[in-house]
Amino acid sequence: MSTGAAKSDILQGTLDLMVLRTLESMGPQHGFGLAKRIQQISEGALDLNQGTLYPALLRLEQRGWVRSEWGTSESNRKAKFYELTRAGRRQVERESKDWERTVAVMARFLRPAE
Amino acid sequence: MMAWWKRIAAFFQGARLDRDLEDEIAAHLAMQEDEFRQRGMSAPQARAEARREFGGVAQAAEAYRQGRGLPWLETAVKDARYAWRGLARNPGFTVAAVLSLALGIGANTAIFSMYHALLMRTLPVSHPEQLVTLYRTGGWGRGFSSYPLYREVRGRTDLFSGTIGRTGIEKTSFRNGDSTPSETAQVEYVTGNYFAMLGVPPAIGRVFTDDDNRTPKAHPLAVLSYDFWQRRFGGASAVLGETVTSGTERVTVIGVAARGFRGVEVDRHPDFWEPAMMAGEDPANPSSFWLWIIGRRQPGVTISQARAAIEVLFQQRLAALYGSNPNSGFRKTAMAQHIEVREGGVGLSSLRESFATPLTILMVAVWLVLLAACANVANLLLARGAARQKEIAVRLSLGATRARLVRQSLTESLLLAAAGTAAGTLLAWWGERGILRFLPAASGNPFDAAPDGTVLAFTIAIAVLAVALFGLAPAWRSTAIDPAECIKSGGAQGGRRASTLRHILVVAQVAFSSMLVVLAALFGHSLAALRSVDLGFRNQNTIAFSLDMPDNWKADRTSSVRGDFLVRMESLPGVTMVSFGEPGPYQGGYSSISVRVPGSQLTAHEPSWVNTQRVAPQYFDIIGSRPVLGREFTVSDTSQSPKVAIVNESFLRMFVPGELHPLDRVLNFDEQKPDPVAIVGVVRDIPHQGLREKIEPTMYLPLTQSPASFGAVLLRSERPAGELAPAIRREAERLGPEVSASIPRTIRQRIDESIFQDRLVATVGGFFGGLALLLAAIGLYGVMAYSAARRAREIGIRIAMGAKRSTVLWMVLRGSLALVIGGLAIGVPVSLVAARKVAPVLFGIRAGDSLAFASTVSVLLAVGLAAALIPARRAASTEPMRVLRQE
Repeated sequence: MSTGAAKSDILQGTLDLMVLRTLESMGPQHGFGLAKRIQQISEGALDLNQGTLYPALLRLEQRGWVRSEWGTSESNRKAKFYELTRAGRRQVERESKDWERTVAVMARFLRPAE
Repeated sequence: MMAWWKRIAAFFQGARLDRDLEDEIAAHLAMQEDEFRQRGMSAPQARAEARREFGGVAQAAEAYRQGRGLPWLETAVKDARYAWRGLARNPGFTVAAVLSLALGIGANTAIFSMYHALLMRTLPVSHPEQLVTLYRTGGWGRGFSSYPLYREVRGRTDLFSGTIGRTGIEKTSFRNGDSTPSETAQVEYVTGNYFAMLGVPPAIGRVFTDDDNRTPKAHPLAVLSYDFWQRRFGGASAVLGETVTSGTERVTVIGVAARGFRGVEVDRHPDFWEPAMMAGEDPANPSSFWLWIIGRRQPGVTISQARAAIEVLFQQRLAALYGSNPNSGFRKTAMAQHIEVREGGVGLSSLRESFATPLTILMVAVWLVLLAACANVANLLLARGAARQKEIAVRLSLGATRARLVRQSLTESLLLAAAGTAAGTLLAWWGERGILRFLPAASGNPFDAAPDGTVLAFTIAIAVLAVALFGLAPAWRSTAIDPAECIKSGGAQGGRRASTLRHILVVAQVAFSSMLVVLAALFGHSLAALRSVDLGFRNQNTIAFSLDMPDNWKADRTSSVRGDFLVRMESLPGVTMVSFGEPGPYQGGYSSISVRVPGSQLTAHEPSWVNTQRVAPQYFDIIGSRPVLGREFTVSDTSQSPKVAIVNESFLRMFVPGELHPLDRVLNFDEQKPDPVAIVGVVRDIPHQGLREKIEPTMYLPLTQSPASFGAVLLRSERPAGELAPAIRREAERLGPEVSASIPRTIRQRIDESIFQDRLVATVGGFFGGLALLLAAIGLYGVMAYSAARRAREIGIRIAMGAKRSTVLWMVLRGSLALVIGGLAIGVPVSLVAARKVAPVLFGIRAGDSLAFASTVSVLLAVGLAAALIPARRAASTEPMRVLRQE
């Protein structure tokens, strides 16, 4: 059903994990803050449309990994804040391990042949 | 799981969540703008840059929305709204389509729900599919068997794992306590294993066992039905052990049967059960037929195996009982009996036999109605599709996919079908009531059940089928256009294939309609033939009601009670003449007697069977049938005077050759006791047994010389039967609780009831036939009007070139006639095949009845002309200049 609207250069699952991980380290955060942080950490290597963040946040909320609440930002604007749930924390842990394993396996393949 | 739940929740809060998302995106953009401005951008620059960073706001929002709710459902709702607006804009189209569908769906639901109740629904007992009923035929009466035969069948445990016997359901007066009023209740007498074999447990208390059914008149016990227990006793468990009065017996309530169990009959339901030994019948008499046998087949025993085995058993019994009977006529009748083993799981129904054929015919008819209705709606949809070609072309060129347009069009069809189903269900409810009015008053009603799951499923299936039938092809056709071509030509580009499809649909419609009209005409003609049967009497307004006395009364008591009653009837205001007959006209039942007629070759070697009727003086006067010879009985024909008889014309033709005057004949009933009976009169043939029955040689005997305990009181009255009814009931009640009188009705009403199947099929068939004609006319009109409009330019040129207007008129009419003839070419041969199938229920006409077929063809041709008349005249009055200027 989903159209190809999210034309990001990153895999969907990857963006999800980035969001979860960022929330874990920063605590409650609004969408703009999250977008900025993700761009910062990736040091501009990612060509991320900030807009694609919102469908991802929706997906995570539907799965019960994050919850949201309206609050006030540091610049005194009304904004929606996202926060990791307990299930979200477990998910970060699980996904991180999966990623580490994948990366390790890939690294072995990509090592120059001896 | 949770994700789905949130999606469903989101679906219903769409508007609020949309606002939330807008706010969130606005906040995001504002914060980004703030940041850019702090870095020194100008306000407009910061704003543009923020939006660039964000990517497409609309795309993000759309992706978000798609992920949020149930997109397919949202589209469906959007389509439904769109379709709704479209339908509301075209009320004429919508009403025509919904009515057509309501008709097709309603007719199917009504007939199917009756068909299902009568022929398909199984009894609420354990493993109904194993049950069989033993149906006795030939000899005397039908269905019921004797108690000794029941015992013998029950012994055949190789065939049946259980065998029960039960009487018919009988009326009785019921009273509990001394103060409560008595009411007429229904009782069924059953063998002790009845409930156990059917697998019906008690709701409270206990049910019968074999120990409750051992000795005649020794088990005054009753088990109540759940419904009766609720209605009469309010479901109180104190009813157990209570002594109640059933007729003249005091019986003790021992239990209540499980909820939902209403006996083994479909049309009638007992209020309570008593052991068969309490029925007042002789369980040792092998010639007394009062018990209906139902068996449960052993696993692995087929119905045909059971049938063969039971027939052998029964024939052995018959041979032992009657094989050496000296009366050869009696022996022949007695030995000609058989037992049929029939499917029993659907319960017993006296209505089923007479009603199954008409219902099956009507099932076919309503299918044709549905098909004709669907063809009609498909045609209307195509016409609408043609009118909306331009709109469709624009949408296609704006990027709508064809699948999306087809889907929208199907949504519209679904909406129409839903409205049609709703209206059709109402129509079905109303139609069913109309059909029930045809059933004889005494036949009971098996159709009282609340809406049934199966019927509901059937209706929905029919509706979905209808959508597939009428919606798919038009949706596909209407969207098959080349948008560029269409827009260039200003929408006038005709889907040539769409127009062909419309012609095919109209031809199909005419074909369906002609089949329905043939059926209606056949049944109408058959009914007319039945109606014109010579009744042999004139006064159909004579009022008749049955008056039954107990069998165990002595003959003189019966006749004196009846005599007093008839005198009181004579004194009722408005009553001018009173008589009595057994069994009476169109009351059902008959008796027969073996007789020797001196001088007749037929009875020279052995006596012949003739029907007998016992009648009082003035019987023939009151029904308006003057004797053709001699006289009818008078008060001077008493039990002391010489024995007399009246015979009908069939009797005369069969037994009395011409040499001797009939009134000089003397009949002999029995060689052993010579007791001569003189023929004093000859009357017309009266089809007492029903209009369809062959008239039997009949002998009328005076009541005074041949007593009868039951029969019908006949009244000639200046007041209608309904007005007399209360007075008659009062007088009958004075005779005591053992005497029962039926509701007074005219002989005409009884005749109507006796041919209810014919009247029902003819009336309902005629109704559907008329509607099908109307649908065909609408379809023809639509196609002709459309094609005439499309050919307006061509017609204008023809007229400008000097074509006569009458030629143009005929050209359009001819087109319509061609369609009708095409439809008839399919419909008439198929109807001929169908007519052969229904031939057995037709009366007095053949399947290929020329009147029915000729009238169908001419009616449809006339409809074809009438439907095309307006378009044809419009075409003929075309002003060439105006049409050509429009280009």
